[in-house]
Amino acid sequence: MTEHHTAPPSDSPSMPINLRPATAADVPALVPLLVRLKRLNEEFDPLLKVRPDVDARAEEILVQDIHNPSSLVLAAVGVGHEADKIVGVVRAQIRERPFYAPVREGVIQDIYLLPLYRRRGVGEYLLAEATARLQAKGAELVTAEFPTQNEIATRFYGKRGFRPITSLHARRL
Amino acid sequence: MVQAAEPPGDPEGDRARRRPVAVDPDPAQNEAAQTEALSRRAVALARHYQGKIETIAKVPVRSQHDFALWYTPGIAAVSRAIEADPDASFDLTGRWNTIAIVTDGSRLLGLGDLGPEAALPVMEGKALLFKTLGGVDAVPLPVRVPSREALVETVERIAPGFGAINLEDIASPKCFYVLEELTRRLPIPVWHDDQLGTAAATIAGLLNALELTGRSIRTTRTVLLGAGAANVATARLLRAMGHDPHRLTVVDHKGILTAERDDVDELMVRNPWKYRLALETDGGGRTGGLDAALAEADVLLAASTPVPGTVRPEWVRSMARGPIVFALANPIPEIWPATALEAGAAIVATGRSDFPNQVNNSLIFPAVFRGVLDARARSINDEIVLAAARELAAQTRARGLAPDHLLPTMEETAVFPHVAAAVAARAVVLGLARHRLSHDEFLARAEERMRRPAALARVLTDAGLIPPMPDEPAGPAPGRR
Repeated sequence: MTEHHTAPPSDSPSMPINLRPATAADVPALVPLLVRLKRLNEEFDPLLKVRPDVDARAEEILVQDIHNPSSLVLAAVGVGHEADKIVGVVRAQIRERPFYAPVREGVIQDIYLLPLYRRRGVGEYLLAEATARLQAKGAELVTAEFPTQNEIATRFYGKRGFRPITSLHARRL
Repeated sequence: MVQAAEPPGDPEGDRARRRPVAVDPDPAQNEAAQTEALSRRAVALARHYQGKIETIAKVPVRSQHDFALWYTPGIAAVSRAIEADPDASFDLTGRWNTIAIVTDGSRLLGLGDLGPEAALPVMEGKALLFKTLGGVDAVPLPVRVPSREALVETVERIAPGFGAINLEDIASPKCFYVLEELTRRLPIPVWHDDQLGTAAATIAGLLNALELTGRSIRTTRTVLLGAGAANVATARLLRAMGHDPHRLTVVDHKGILTAERDDVDELMVRNPWKYRLALETDGGGRTGGLDAALAEADVLLAASTPVPGTVRPEWVRSMARGPIVFALANPIPEIWPATALEAGAAIVATGRSDFPNQVNNSLIFPAVFRGVLDARARSINDEIVLAAARELAAQTRARGLAPDHLLPTMEETAVFPHVAAAVAARAVVLGLARHRLSHDEFLARAEERMRRPAALARVLTDAGLIPPMPDEPAGPAPGRR
């Protein structure tokens, strides 16, 4: 994100959601959302096929991240008739870059939003919020991880000033 | 009329039938035997005639000297004129009446991907329909392409020779992309019959069925069974006509299509058109299977893979009073008409010519092409498709609307020029026409141009230049199936 980025207020009145840090109590509702995202990634490459124990692993990872101060797990909660329903999740973490400057990287690992909440600017809001919170944790740049073939994500981030800087190439052994 | 088929074990028998829909004791066997006989004959005739269309000269050639006018050197001046104004190609050549029937053979009939060569006989048949019903010169053009982008590019490159493009038998969802891209890129109309033709014929029948049963499209609860090319287009047209998306339930082989169904993210990537439909309708507020979708629904529009018994009579009974059932799968409808009528359906339509109310693309596409070609339209949009559907419905009403006469039969050919004129006039209103004539002028042209092929065929047949069928005595053609 560039320096003229300003984070919107965290309960933006026009948004059909409220965003807050996730708690351990949210984990059962967050697991299916995270798993849906991983299953979507299966579409892009056979090497992204989810493990049979993906649900259990998702639960473990979420519990760990919620308790880890350098991680960020946000829950998007519906309003109105879907109040209290968790409709989206953001998972991010701060990493230190040993060889490059700037040093502190905020990595957006997962953003998932239920289909009915898409196309209404919520995704953009989640990204801006996550970015602001990573910045507050000391991030000096923000990055996003997603499958190379995910053109929807490429366009989403590309429109918001992201560009590819490293690539992960894989070969099945 | 050919006997209507009815599955065995039909509980009520003939007593409860409201209309004389005849019963066939063993439809499956009968169907198979008929199809077998028809198939053998089609192959034999294909071998005999070796193609169904040919080009013929339409200018006099009295001697070799005339070629100096029709060809070089005289023709150079015509080329110069078109170079100065490419649209003059519509006036100075046959472009105004020539279309390409383009396919990659990826969804040939109901058979799947048989490749472009295997598509050729089907495209020739379509060209024959275009000529016979619409007076349109159509060139069959199966192409071998490695990707959807290559298909788009290929059509873009051949477009200068044509007044319009008809896409045919292209697999879904590729067909949505190809139609959208070509419509955006080309200065001539592009049509995909499996989407627009079927959707327009369906809408025309539906409008009349709503009229007959005293329903308004704005308050109707509709179930679309199948989410392929036809129903995705039908859903879009329904919404364009004011159908409430929250009263629209789309059902496919996985059940009701909702926004949170497990495969919706996959659809976002693989089939954005169906994905949008999932978001807009969200199951019409319902979840579950076809039974849950049909409870208290007014209308069923089924355009699914033909599996007999897909729609059970008890589900039709659970629909709103006097429901409308379109069972359009071919050759076996999702529910047999008599069964649907016994289960309380007020109106039933199928895709077959041997039952009343055939929803048939051929009621639409020849007239649409006649209309857009006569207007020299730049494009086809949903408003033009709807104009065709509305005119077809209106023409049926003018000729006597009844529960078993929702749509004209293919014999009611007087209807077609009216649909063509409505399409052309709509193109003028929408600013898409290069030729801006009045409705009546378009009607007169369409009538004349749609009459011409029959006159030509008569002369050629009488002269023995179109030889008679080798396997039957000379005389009038027998009834078709």
